Amino acid sequence: MKPKIGIYGLSGCWGEQINILNCEDELLDIVGAVDIVDFLGGSSVNDTESRLAIAFVEGSVANAREEKELQHIRNRSDLLVACGSCACFGGVGAMDAQVSRPELIKQVYGNNGPAKSWDIGPHKPLSEFVKVDLAIPGCPMESKAFVKAVSSLLNGDVPLLPTYPVCLECKMKEYDCLLVSRGLPCAGPVTVAGCGARCPGYNVACIGCHGPVDEANMGSIEKIFEQKELPMDQIKLKLRTFAAPVLDKERE
Amino acid sequence: MKILKMPKQNLDLFVSVLPAFGEVYAPVKRGKGFAFDKPSLWSDVQMKYTRTILPPKKLMLPPRETTIAFDPVEGFQDQLAMASKPMVLFGVHPYDIYGLNILDRVFAQSKYPDPYYIARRKNTAIIGMDFEPDDKHFAGSMNSDFVDSGFDLFLSDIGDDYLVLVGTSRGDDIVVMSGCLMQTPGEADFAAYKRRSKDRRASYKTKLEMEDLPEIMEMEYHSKAWEDIGNRCLSCGSCSMACPTCYCFDINDEVELGSRKGQRIRSWDSCLFKTHALVAGGENFREERSSRIKFRYYHKQRGFVAEYGRPSCIGCGRCVEVCPAEINIISVIETIRGERDGIASSAPKSV
Ligand code: SF4
Ligand code: SF4
Ligand code: SF4
Ligand code: SF4
Repeated sequence: MKPKIGIYGLSGCWGEQINILNCEDELLDIVGAVDIVDFLGGSSVNDTESRLAIAFVEGSVANAREEKELQHIRNRSDLLVACGSCACFGGVGAMDAQVSRPELIKQVYGNNGPAKSWDIGPHKPLSEFVKVDLAIPGCPMESKAFVKAVSSLLNGDVPLLPTYPVCLECKMKEYDCLLVSRGLPCAGPVTVAGCGARCPGYNVACIGCHGPVDEANMGSIEKIFEQKELPMDQIKLKLRTFAAPVLDKERE
Repeated sequence: MKILKMPKQNLDLFVSVLPAFGEVYAPVKRGKGFAFDKPSLWSDVQMKYTRTILPPKKLMLPPRETTIAFDPVEGFQDQLAMASKPMVLFGVHPYDIYGLNILDRVFAQSKYPDPYYIARRKNTAIIGMDFEPDDKHFAGSMNSDFVDSGFDLFLSDIGDDYLVLVGTSRGDDIVVMSGCLMQTPGEADFAAYKRRSKDRRASYKTKLEMEDLPEIMEMEYHSKAWEDIGNRCLSCGSCSMACPTCYCFDINDEVELGSRKGQRIRSWDSCLFKTHALVAGGENFREERSSRIKFRYYHKQRGFVAEYGRPSCIGCGRCVEVCPAEINIISVIETIRGERDGIASSAPKSV
């Protein structure tokens, strides 16, 4: 019998689920190797109770209902994989965790917005609630990282994800450095690799969508950006879009 | 060693014979920098380039390569055939040839010869070319601004002609194939070469004092300078990727989906990364950032001297050019020598 897997989305943009469906060349191999029994994004008929070998969860936890759903997924799964920067770090929804929700609604919709607040609190990563066996960051998670995770986990291995910064992949492709050569505010040196330096490949500075590299030297990069007279506030906001809770924790 | 000369106007005809010896790579523009690449037009080739972003190392020890394929039924299969494709590397500066000669010591002439490196090196014709140093080159101090081996042909600019050194029998084959493009040089050509050689040696703006450096580094092992540099370093690894003689690699097995077949992949690694000295059980021998950047300097300028009789640094200036934190090897060494104060990041004194 093939191992059963489930694919889930909490508060997020469904980007990971779309990227899973985008694995067009590998989809037949994937369904040949596993039985996808529970995947609302891919099927309207689902088995919501049976035991799972692996659960892939995208999105962050924003309220008690999602927390309960996550607990249920965890209880029925041997392994749980956090997919994408929202699941790993809180992501976009966690950007302004310190501002109250009614205040945020007012900021976005003005005074004519909805009268009462929705049932949401500050968004949190999965690891705040359950044990996460593997975290694959990215906004969205790379398709190839998903395929690699499935094949490694089925072989009883944890896939080796990059722990080094985007600069390594950027240099491997021999791109001319945007930060050094053109003074663009590239966050590659403090951002974990995995994307193949996608943005520098298009001459666009990295904005840190894969989250910070372990031991990111924020103090030094801030000094470098300041010396180059780059708008530090805007750059910080960009980095906070994906991993504000981690950046705040490092600051403490 | 045979010495010939070739009028500059013959260059276009000369390069047209090169594809017979393998796929041609030459310096072309890449962003604001340069890279060895397959030129689509010969007119894209830059005869006056400063330095390429990545050194020729990238063709001998590729950033990522499959070494073996494995299959539970068929067993192991090496991928040496992939490494045996003939190449011609045109326009390599002498320090970069020296860099390859250093990699030879590690990968070809050592106790553990590396068949993949050796196959690529053997199958690659190297055509060297002289250069004018900029403010980041310090090859003059590293004994690497002239090479007498490691190339098949070497072109030196002597005005209207190139003086052509023939280094190997493959180089001679290229000369034979290029027919009447080469001529016999005379006294005036040698005089022009010697004048240029002298001028070039005098034109280095940047110098590094190498005498007794290993000893001084030994004394300064606990210097606070390492901590300052460590605070500034981003551990981005750019310096080691770009360095012609940084050769650390990582080996990983990647399995194919739904089977136990897969590939063994070798990819570049760097001692600047936190996981470089991480071993099973979670012990990390170089957990501190400062100990990692210090290690890079000690391996290049001291460890290598003890093992191979010279530093592995060849003075190409790439690490200076690529570092986002402006950590400059010359200033670092001047700091360690006590010849300048404070943080070793700003411009070196000798410029
Ligand atoms: S462009 Fe960005 S990612 Fe690439 S090397 Fe420069 S800083 Fe690093
Ligand atoms: S370069 Fe940076 S922003 Fe772009 S995909 Fe990679 S991690 Fe994300
Ligand atoms: S240490 Fe720097 S200057 Fe020396 S060979 Fe390496 S990249 Fe070039
Ligand atoms: S390039 Fe500079 S910042 Fe990056 S690892 Fe090397 S010394 Fe550190």
